[in-house]
Amino acid sequence: MTADSKTYKLIEKGRLGIIALVVGVVGLAASALGWVSEPERFYHAFLTAFVFWTSIALGGLFFTMMHHLTGARWSVVVRRICENLMMQLPWLFLAFIPVYFGIHDLYHWSHTEAVAADHALQGKAAYLNVGFFTIRTVAYFAIWSILAVLLYRVSLKQDAGHKPEHLKSMRKISAIGMLLFAATITLSGWDWLMSLEPHWFSTVFGVYLFSGSFLNAVAVVTGVCLYLRKEDALRNTFTLEHFHDLGKLMLAFTIFWGYIGFAQYFLIWYGNLPEETFWYTARWEGSWKIVSLVLLFGHFALPFVILLFRNVKRSLPIMGFLGIWFLVMHWLDYYWLIYPTFTEQGASIGGLEIAAVLGLGGIFIWQLWRRIGSSPVVPVGDPELDNSINFVNN
Amino acid sequence: MSTVENKEQMPPAEPPLILGNQTFGTVTDRISKLAERKTTLTWLAALSLAASVALLLLGSIGYLFYEGIGIWGLNVPVAWGWAIVNFVFWVGIGHAGTLISAILFLFRQKWRTSINRFAEAMTLFAVICALVFPGIHVGRIWVVYWMFPLPNQMDMWPNFRSPLLWDVFAVSIYFTCSLVFWYTGLIPDLATLRDRATTKIRKIVLGIFSLGWRGGNRQWKHYELAYLILAGVSTPLVLSVHSVVSTDFAVSVVPGWHTTIFPPYFVAGAIFSGFAMVMTLGIITRKVFHLEDFITNQHLEKMNKIMLLTGMMVGYSYACEFFIAWYSGNAYEQFAFINRAFGPYAWAYWIMISCNVLIPQMFWFRKLRTSIPVMFVASIFINIGMWFERFVIVMSLARDYLPSSWDYYSPTTWDVLTFIGSFGLFFTLFLLFLRFLPVVAMFEVKGVLPEADPHHKGGSH
Repeated sequence: MTADSKTYKLIEKGRLGIIALVVGVVGLAASALGWVSEPERFYHAFLTAFVFWTSIALGGLFFTMMHHLTGARWSVVVRRICENLMMQLPWLFLAFIPVYFGIHDLYHWSHTEAVAADHALQGKAAYLNVGFFTIRTVAYFAIWSILAVLLYRVSLKQDAGHKPEHLKSMRKISAIGMLLFAATITLSGWDWLMSLEPHWFSTVFGVYLFSGSFLNAVAVVTGVCLYLRKEDALRNTFTLEHFHDLGKLMLAFTIFWGYIGFAQYFLIWYGNLPEETFWYTARWEGSWKIVSLVLLFGHFALPFVILLFRNVKRSLPIMGFLGIWFLVMHWLDYYWLIYPTFTEQGASIGGLEIAAVLGLGGIFIWQLWRRIGSSPVVPVGDPELDNSINFVNN
Repeated sequence: MSTVENKEQMPPAEPPLILGNQTFGTVTDRISKLAERKTTLTWLAALSLAASVALLLLGSIGYLFYEGIGIWGLNVPVAWGWAIVNFVFWVGIGHAGTLISAILFLFRQKWRTSINRFAEAMTLFAVICALVFPGIHVGRIWVVYWMFPLPNQMDMWPNFRSPLLWDVFAVSIYFTCSLVFWYTGLIPDLATLRDRATTKIRKIVLGIFSLGWRGGNRQWKHYELAYLILAGVSTPLVLSVHSVVSTDFAVSVVPGWHTTIFPPYFVAGAIFSGFAMVMTLGIITRKVFHLEDFITNQHLEKMNKIMLLTGMMVGYSYACEFFIAWYSGNAYEQFAFINRAFGPYAWAYWIMISCNVLIPQMFWFRKLRTSIPVMFVASIFINIGMWFERFVIVMSLARDYLPSSWDYYSPTTWDVLTFIGSFGLFFTLFLLFLRFLPVVAMFEVKGVLPEADPHHKGGSH
């Protein structure tokens, strides 16, 4: 990888894209083999991978819009990376296709005979049916893709020469976009994940998913910055100060994730109504207990304590490690949300789960890296770019 | 640098936070004078009015202690009436101050400096008003100290699993931290007042409260670290207090109360209502004290944006609750929400929706969110709406699982007088604050003046 220090463009992209593509193809091929032998498990694994990568791209969309709405300056240097992340949303729709074919293996409510025998499900049939479910998913991706493309187009125009209208129009798109984002991330979370257990419900579920999405978008942005920083030309672009602020965001959203997770658990525990508690009981049985505890400590307690320290947020190796750590925990979070509904024998992460997440992830990284190479790695037209590069925490 | 040559590439110049070409000297003068000048007639008139209203509170409480809780409109099934509504209402208002001072401080939002002082004062007074209600609701007032877990020979303890006890802890911790934070922020300004004092008594009193502040380099260094740590401590409290308050409802199994979104939903609502109250008070204060240079349109517009955001979060929660009530398939839950929107309290529900969700939508338009009459009226409507939100929630009790016990709750005169009286207490305290203390944090405002920038006027250091 080499980069031009004036235009901030990657002249030579290096091998990351190829490696990612190979991992992606191999992973997907392995998943396909898994589909032949264990189709049901394949669908579980693929759904996990699908929501995992989609959530990160969504986090990128949120990060971009939040940047525009708050008029933040420090984050100008990472804005393009967030934009590249959100631009993964259009093609991620393709990853929904296998989920669509697995609807009957994944969603209990999709079986008409099950609904006919179940009074509670009959009441939800107006919302939970295959046709409407599919239409909604198409709508989510349409909304996300339109928002991403609109924002991205203006951003590239700004590269060619800044006009004040650019920032204004990106801010306007973000304002409307934020409303749509709140609605769609909530509904998609209810559709794809909460309805796996169609009898269970929780009003805060959408907020829970949002907290993890954004946290992990920050983790990926941190990782990308660290990787780009290997190139001398960009060393002084992504500075310690930016990592420090990314670390603060990680800390804030680690706390937020823990807060929302706790609110959901605690109120259900205290109310102790069987119609709600069964969901947690399933996650506290046998080996699921271990996964629950790993999440409690790994996704919240440990990173919380570690990230409190200023020196940690300013240490590149630790920040890189934490980025990867959060991604692992985030995947485990989705594994924990999805799998207990299906497996009675307890938690077991096998080759198929890993193949699916790495397979889709390889394609994701390949596409992301292509996108990063296609335009300057920072929004060169942004009038605050110099301020952002020279920004210092105080 | 190539970017500088191109005019269009230059970052847009930031509008100054403080207007009127203030210098360090004029800031000190203008703010200090408000606390030093002779008592004005307007102030006296306002205080008399506020104090008279506060007497209503005292009188109502006196009669309550004499006669008992029966003077209120409470009965089964609505055993929690206006007292809890007012408690949550006031605690909610008490959230903006600490949010502005602590969270915006951590977010490096410099515009907070003009409003943090009076917003924090408002927080403290709102929390005092809030604490009155559960305090007088206990029935046997002579054993009110049983609210605290005090070791005793009878081995009697409060129920540690009760959110009402957590309230005692959460709110008292919040009050203590907010007070310390506010006082810490006051110290340098109190020292300024002390140095300007012309009478002996003033000098001594202010000298005691400014804790020997000299403004030396070392003192500032310690001071700023202490302030940062206090901001860090206060930040989680902003979230925790109203989360705990929300559990008063959410841990129970009453339909319409038991829902997982309550903690973040309550926090958003608290910030929403708190900003509305800061807005109401801010607009009046700025007008009466001619502080337009300090609390500028820019400040007001930013607060309106925060209200738009938090108002929408509250709207999001209403929508989630409603949808999930249907989705849950739980007949009681479904009934509770249909009943809210179309039952005997539908009027309250639609007041809530109009004030909290519809009215803030005006702030999408720059014209409206920069118009002072519009935002003043809007802030009052939001305050009303947020009171009704709590009322709507509490009135879920009126129609519980047993139709035979359904009832329609109405407040008595004493309920109304107590509530109105709490505004008297609030405004009395606020007026005293306006009279005797610097309304704007002088030393912090000086920090955001162009003069404070070492590169000011091209000078290099």
